[in-house]
Amino acid sequence: MKVKTSNASKGDIAISSLYNVIDPEIGLNIVDLGLVYQIDFNEEDKEIFVTMTLTTQFCPMGDAIVSSTKQAMQQSFPEDKIQVNLTFDPPWDTSMISEEGNKFLNY
Amino acid sequence: MFIAGSNSPIKNTSYKVVLPFYGYAALSFLVATILMLMDTSAFTQHYFNPHTLAITHTMALGWGTMIILGASHQLFPVLIEGKLHSNLLAYLSFIFAAVGIPLLIYSFYEFDLGLVAQAGATLINLAVISYITNLWLSMSHTKKQNVHAVFAFTSVLWLFLTTGLGLLLIWNFTSHTLSNDSLHYLSLHTHLGIVGWFLLMIIGVGSRLIPMFLISKYDNKKRLWWIYILINTGLIIFLFLFLLSSQSKLYFIPITLISIGVILFGNHIYQSFVKRIRKKVDEQVRISMLSVAFIVIPIIILVAIIALLTTINSMQLTLLYGFTIFFGWITAIILGMTFKTLPFIVWNKVYHNIAGLGKTPNPKDLFLNSVFIVCGVSYLMGFVIFGYGIIKENILMLNIGAVLLLITAVSYNFNVFRVLFHKAKLK
Repeated sequence: MKVKTSNASKGDIAISSLYNVIDPEIGLNIVDLGLVYQIDFNEEDKEIFVTMTLTTQFCPMGDAIVSSTKQAMQQSFPEDKIQVNLTFDPPWDTSMISEEGNKFLNY
Repeated sequence: MFIAGSNSPIKNTSYKVVLPFYGYAALSFLVATILMLMDTSAFTQHYFNPHTLAITHTMALGWGTMIILGASHQLFPVLIEGKLHSNLLAYLSFIFAAVGIPLLIYSFYEFDLGLVAQAGATLINLAVISYITNLWLSMSHTKKQNVHAVFAFTSVLWLFLTTGLGLLLIWNFTSHTLSNDSLHYLSLHTHLGIVGWFLLMIIGVGSRLIPMFLISKYDNKKRLWWIYILINTGLIIFLFLFLLSSQSKLYFIPITLISIGVILFGNHIYQSFVKRIRKKVDEQVRISMLSVAFIVIPIIILVAIIALLTTINSMQLTLLYGFTIFFGWITAIILGMTFKTLPFIVWNKVYHNIAGLGKTPNPKDLFLNSVFIVCGVSYLMGFVIFGYGIIKENILMLNIGAVLLLITAVSYNFNVFRVLFHKAKLK
């Protein structure tokens, strides 16, 4: 699933940093897993909103994944305020895994 | 378009509630294997003897029930997509059971079924009441019910019936309140627990977790409802047959219904395996899947017992039947699923606030896989050899099997306590 961004160049930097956030159970990064839906940049207030999901609403790793996402984004955008919004609409399903992700899981 | 949500995940059940159950269950497994090794000759005698009763209840209550109680306090909120109602009730459930179980086991071992046994059985029932109340109140706060949650909650009702009847049987030893002696009701007590509690709970939770760990595309809720109907109908028919009929051949009706349910469940897991996205299956999921196949073994033995009831002495088959349930599929799925749940609970406890600040170990790094393999291999060897020893009434085989199962318990405990006492390591 392709991540939507409101700023193409900053979006690329953000996605690159989120490739470093790994789901501890599956061992795959959250971008290829299809957990990241959208990244919005508010240039005026220097805020970044990451809209993402978890594989299940009660994912025991949820806190850790959200925390890692914030940390990874903060490293790439130290001047900005990072907000992570969790959504379960639409819920995650296996069709959201990227081609690269599927290759990794098939290995 | 995405619907905006919260900025933090819904809180899981506190690890403080869950972890004591895991530690207690691990130690109970160790105690059960030590008791077995101390008196393997008990497995050449009638199944209704003090040491066999003590070992069976250590396995059923201390091991199987305690770990399921612990894990389900964590997993039930996942199934109902809501929060656990009360941590206090969960603590009470643990305390009542943790005190009650040893009292009951000691009483069986000494075969003194007086006040201590009555106190133990009463405390176990209080633990179950606390647990049911907690789950019921948790369910009442959420509108999202699903087949997995219904399986789990129904299994808890059967558990209550099992422990309630168990308490009555203990009273009956001294006060003769029932119309028959306690031995007469043993089969009813046992099967309500095995099928109603363990089988329904394992199917309800396993049908959610195993496909999730495989990242499987397969989902068939309709089939799961059919399994639910078949097993519960079978169990209710069994209950009525037990109370109203003496025709042993009629027991094939509930056995057939339950067997169809089990086969459908086996197929559900197989389809999940075939349609998985994650090709590499780790040892923990493998042994959990093996446990599903293991469910068939006691069913075959049970059919043999009923078919041969009038022709041969089926005492050894009955012992083997019990052994393949408690040391077979129940133990196999616990050995596997412990290391797919416990490391994540502990990892979250230790790292959730510091994840992203450095490289953290993966949850699977919290235990030693080499020790897990020792645990798995010794378990499979011990299971086969001890089972063979029961059938052949061979003390040497029983001793070898018991030593191997003790190695299983020691290696399992090593890994469990290694995970429980893990301290943060950031690179």
